Amino acid sequence: MINQKDYFDRVHRWGILWNIGALLVLICIPVSVCIRWNVWPEANALLSIMPKLMALYWLTAIVEVITYVPLLGPGGAYLSFVTGNISNLKLPCGLKAMEQAKVRANTEEGEVITTIAIAVSSIVTTVVIAVGVLAFGPYLSVLTEGTLAPAFDYVLPALFGSLAAGYILKHWKIMITPLIAGVAFLYFVDPTMGAGTLMFITIVVAVITVLVLNKFNKL
Amino acid sequence: MNGDFKTSGFMYAVALIVIGFVVVQSVFFLVKSLKRARELGIAKETLRTTMISSAMFTVAPAISILATVIVLANALGIVLPWIRLSVIGNLAYETTAAQSALDFWGDTLNNSVTDPQKFATITWAMTLGSIAPLLLLPFLCKKLQKKVGETVNKSEKSQKFGDAISAAAFIGIVMAFVSREIYSVTTQTVTAENAAGQIEKVKMISGSAGFMSILVLICAIVFMLVLDIVCKKFKLTKLEPFAMPIAMFAAMGMAVLFTNVLPENLVSHGWFEVGAEYIKG
Repeated sequence: MINQKDYFDRVHRWGILWNIGALLVLICIPVSVCIRWNVWPEANALLSIMPKLMALYWLTAIVEVITYVPLLGPGGAYLSFVTGNISNLKLPCGLKAMEQAKVRANTEEGEVITTIAIAVSSIVTTVVIAVGVLAFGPYLSVLTEGTLAPAFDYVLPALFGSLAAGYILKHWKIMITPLIAGVAFLYFVDPTMGAGTLMFITIVVAVITVLVLNKFNKL
Repeated sequence: MNGDFKTSGFMYAVALIVIGFVVVQSVFFLVKSLKRARELGIAKETLRTTMISSAMFTVAPAISILATVIVLANALGIVLPWIRLSVIGNLAYETTAAQSALDFWGDTLNNSVTDPQKFATITWAMTLGSIAPLLLLPFLCKKLQKKVGETVNKSEKSQKFGDAISAAAFIGIVMAFVSREIYSVTTQTVTAENAAGQIEKVKMISGSAGFMSILVLICAIVFMLVLDIVCKKFKLTKLEPFAMPIAMFAAMGMAVLFTNVLPENLVSHGWFEVGAEYIKG
């Protein structure tokens, strides 16, 4: 069996190779559209659109990479950033898997468990979307307009509510301050702030809470 | 040319290649991790539970991602949103990127894009806007992992500290999302005509937390706590991996129930009025 350092080195090597492959595949999508219909993108439009999109999403990407990599581990991170839907699916899925398997982030066991969880989640997501589009395409409006629509409008509170409950019993002392800080920040400063940025504040408050509780032996 | 090109056989072929890539990558990492897990001596039952509960956990969010595909399909056909939401994409980004691009021509997601050049431009915008993490990861991932690993695994004392910090980080993340379900607003920039008849860009409110999001949040917490207690009290270890997906589905079911039985003014209550112009402060 190879040692931990060598295993992590391998994961990075695989991750970077798949990463480069994913970049090529992604770029091939617009390129193939342009070649197939013999058109060029409208330069004026791109010049107007891209600065706004890049200002928003490239900056968010820096924050997300710094925040998610230590939690997901390298395997989970390389896979999540290619397959997407991190904050609303892959991250909670990885966190839940680690909690259930009683392993912690930044260990080899944590890395392996999150990667398994995220890989399974990516495969299931891809299959659900593919089957939905190919087999049920004409009937899918039921998800956005029919009786079931409210269920999917509120999938995020249902997801994070059930995830938060797991921490209420074990860590209620740590939960209160970041929750108050998060809501207060949204209320008093910027209600449009996305969870990806807000989590910087709530993580810092949670860490300070742990340090204070630890100091007074109340953890 | 009409809009049929967006759902042509060619686009489906592109979709299958992209989706094939994602599945093969996922299977690759799954196989390698399972092999390593066995080498590390992680119990088979733990691995089985991780896979089953992750699959179960994924179904509901995946269906909601499918719902976004449908929203974007009006303008872009079903294939491009399918591709985009299977690789890198996420719910919030794809809609914003597509709408920002359509704004340039004063168009909206409600109208079908029939010009291949417009379609190509939107495809480029969606792609270029989203690739930043893939450019950053090869440079940052190893450094970040090494740094954090060294810090939390240095000694037993720092391991304990690392555990506490990890728990705090998890809780911080979850609380950020929970906070947004309690109080937040989602905006979208659109082009609109002002009183003087000039076209200008305004921020419109496209979503708001409110009564229903808080109620569904509370339902999910209660369901999960009850299931957790039941599993522990009756030693239902086999049910434990399914507790979270069940709680999630039950809370989503309650959202349907509440929408049908509660007064309209409660159901539609939000801290911000959806459809109104968003004015900061």
